[in-house]
Amino acid sequence: MLLDYDRLGWLRVALAGFTALVAAFLLLPVVFIVLLSFGSSRWLAFPPPGWTLKWYQQLLADPAWIDAALTSAKIAAMAAILAVAIGLFASFSLVRGEFRGRQVLRGLLLTPMVLPVVVFAIAIYAFFLRIGLAGTTIGFVIAHTILALPFAIIPITAALEGFDKSIEDAAIVCGASPLQARLRITLPSIRIGIFSAAIFAFLASWDEVVVAIFMASPTLQTLPVKIWGSLRADLSPVVAAASSLLVGLTLCLMIATALLRRKLSR
Amino acid sequence: MPGNSLSRSSVAGLPAGTGGALPALMLVGLFFIVPVVALLLRSVTDPEPGLQNYAALFGSGTYVRVFLNTFLVASVVTAVTIVGAFPVAWMLAIMPPAMGSIVFGIIILSMWTNLLTRTYAWMVLLQRTGVINRALIGLGIIQEPLPLINNLAGVTIGMVYIMLPFMILPLVGTLRAIDPMTLRAAALCGASQFEAFRRILLPLSLPGIAAGGLMVFVMSLGYFVTPALLGGTSNMMLAEMIAQTVQSLLNWGLGSAAAFVLLAVTMALYAIQLRLVGARRAGGGL
Repeated sequence: MLLDYDRLGWLRVALAGFTALVAAFLLLPVVFIVLLSFGSSRWLAFPPPGWTLKWYQQLLADPAWIDAALTSAKIAAMAAILAVAIGLFASFSLVRGEFRGRQVLRGLLLTPMVLPVVVFAIAIYAFFLRIGLAGTTIGFVIAHTILALPFAIIPITAALEGFDKSIEDAAIVCGASPLQARLRITLPSIRIGIFSAAIFAFLASWDEVVVAIFMASPTLQTLPVKIWGSLRADLSPVVAAASSLLVGLTLCLMIATALLRRKLSR
Repeated sequence: MPGNSLSRSSVAGLPAGTGGALPALMLVGLFFIVPVVALLLRSVTDPEPGLQNYAALFGSGTYVRVFLNTFLVASVVTAVTIVGAFPVAWMLAIMPPAMGSIVFGIIILSMWTNLLTRTYAWMVLLQRTGVINRALIGLGIIQEPLPLINNLAGVTIGMVYIMLPFMILPLVGTLRAIDPMTLRAAALCGASQFEAFRRILLPLSLPGIAAGGLMVFVMSLGYFVTPALLGGTSNMMLAEMIAQTVQSLLNWGLGSAAAFVLLAVTMALYAIQLRLVGARRAGGGL
């Protein structure tokens, strides 16, 4: 009866209690950081002696933070578009291609997700130093596209595998060109996969720290690099304000994803 | 192309269906394979050809300690994550969807929240004067604040926090795939709950536990951010050592050799994981 929710007996209480504890553990830092960002204590005392918005004012008044956020958004958007476009073509080939070594190719394209980021970070940094792309936006975008590519390929191939190809073939039999059939039948059918790919690819770049630390220059910093620098220097509450805005953004993304999925899957 | 003649876009001279993968292959080849191979070559050519970098790496007590510490942390994190994730996955697999979706929402929120944000929260929470120590003292459980940061405890808490979703989500799938009838049958045949757990539920979920555990272990081995921020200088992990050797000491030869060791271990374990779950599902819970 261990897999029957209604017949677990005392175990159900124990499991539910444990699950609640783990959920609280997972929620704790997220809630804590948001509360802390409104606290008035410079030394992050908790519960805070008073409530304030001054850390948000400091954050928004500092052009370095705004610049870093804009840089991050720009690089993440470009990396996500590239990763989804390149990943889309690769997925068609991975799912429908009939050639030897297809699984090897798949493994190869997913490797950037498995390889420890620090190894890739110093490798691409050394490479870019040599060819003059270190500390440039293009270098950033290329490195992040590589890291985002597996996150684009996985949902798109999954969607494509779930799509019945005979529908596309039927369109061609009815007179559509192969390109038309793909654009008007297949792509709309796998849009949820493409949409997930775009979100995951964007987040992969937006949250990326390790490559960014190596690639950053004094004039080109992403948001994680800026936060990293502040964390190493001191635990200023301004970081809590920045972090809370990021939590807010995550929540918006989650809600948008849920809504869009519901709308698209209708 | 047998049985598949429609909508086949074939590029001249290449097997059908490879054309679409070309941009990805070029990108990964030029900006991933080439740099990584160049880096690995550097470990045997910088500053001069030979294996002196590896000799230095394995001959020095400092670096051997870093290796041992990395394995210790990854093992502890994996063990704690499995123990913490299994009951949650079990509950999520069988609980009513309405309640379950709240827990899933919390897991996704934690997983998608910026990595540095989460680590920053733990840095503040685990401080000497942080909330956790103050609460424990307030409850009378401890007298003196516990050292929870800049040591193994801090790294373990921070890493388990990050790894839990990666273990819970695939395990839910494993547990949902188990037929509840097998357990009902066990109960009918007189097995106690403990026996049914030990002899049926646990063995049937073992492949999922092994695959998830291996993934968590591999990710932990090469983790950089959390150990660097929550760990201490006396128990540095491999990824941080590699970054420091290259960035601060500018010793590219030694850093590349350490990177190669990390890469070799990671890839070997990844190969085992692929065999366990099959290449198709190696992507985890996406």
